[in-house]
Amino acid sequence: MPENAAKSLNKKKTGRNWKKSIFIMCRLILGGVFIYASVDKILHPAAFAEAVYNYKILPDALINLTAIILPWLELILGIFLILGLWLPGAALLSNLLLLTFFGALVFNLARGLDIHCGCFSTSQEATLNLCICLHIIRNGIFLLLGFYLLSHIFFEKRRSFSAMMKGQL
Amino acid sequence: MEKMTEKGRIEGIVFRMFRQTGSIVLLAVILAVLVNQIRSDRLPLVADWSPEARMTLESGESMLIPLEEAGELCSSKKAIFLDARSSELYEQAHILCARNLSWEAVDEYFDAVMADIPQDALIITYCDGVTCTQSKDLALELFYRGYENVRVLVNGWSKWVEAGLPTEKGLKGYSSSQKGD
Repeated sequence: MPENAAKSLNKKKTGRNWKKSIFIMCRLILGGVFIYASVDKILHPAAFAEAVYNYKILPDALINLTAIILPWLELILGIFLILGLWLPGAALLSNLLLLTFFGALVFNLARGLDIHCGCFSTSQEATLNLCICLHIIRNGIFLLLGFYLLSHIFFEKRRSFSAMMKGQL
Repeated sequence: MEKMTEKGRIEGIVFRMFRQTGSIVLLAVILAVLVNQIRSDRLPLVADWSPEARMTLESGESMLIPLEEAGELCSSKKAIFLDARSSELYEQAHILCARNLSWEAVDEYFDAVMADIPQDALIITYCDGVTCTQSKDLALELFYRGYENVRVLVNGWSKWVEAGLPTEKGLKGYSSSQKGD
């Protein structure tokens, strides 16, 4: 019986180690993506402002502010995710940002807007749809990683909290 | 008792999440605005993105051309129209006598399309949609290459069709190299 208990404890530990490794991988991947995405935008703010304008979602007054602040937000978020700082906040913000990007892409696909030139395509060209679809799929994958991060932070803390409470009672 | 503490724990996590999120956003805002203020290519915090403002050159000269004027120039054949949209859209229909110089393929076809156009000719570029940047990008490219008299018909294709001005279909305005000859 003690042997069985030890085996199940080992299994649990291995499972927890796996989850921890996946969690770290998700953090590193998402952090790397955010940093990579921010560099070019920080170097070329005018071009990024034009890209924000091409999404045709924000009012004019917010275009430059978004182009100035968003890249730095991505950079700080990426650094925090990689270093493991303020993880609950960084994970929540990652999900909010990724959801916003995902929503903007789906919205523009639905109304037939080519985000590369800010022009509407009346013919709904197959290449345009394919291109935006690939963007959406890529963003969807990042969003899944973001959800995993958030759920891990939330539920892992609950598990450790329950264990602590059981120990106290 | 355990339920109460569980509720408190959830509230604690949520509170911490939002506090940290706010702090990260605040940090990014401060850093972004500070860096923007000290860099040479700084952006104004708020800018005018109207078509009029976007089509104004650094010299203050506007590249915009009104539809009525463009229509007259087309019928009198005093201007050359350049369609900056894709070749597929051009083939479906385009402004009468317009040539196609798709912004995506501008480097490839520039010489072939512009070979017989003098640098002082009046050129009007257009694409489709108020926010479409292809016509503006093409106009700036023409300025850069020495064409002095370039104008942009904003939201050109839609406005042209709505006004019932003459259009045509097919690849008549194509140069031989664009046709792959």
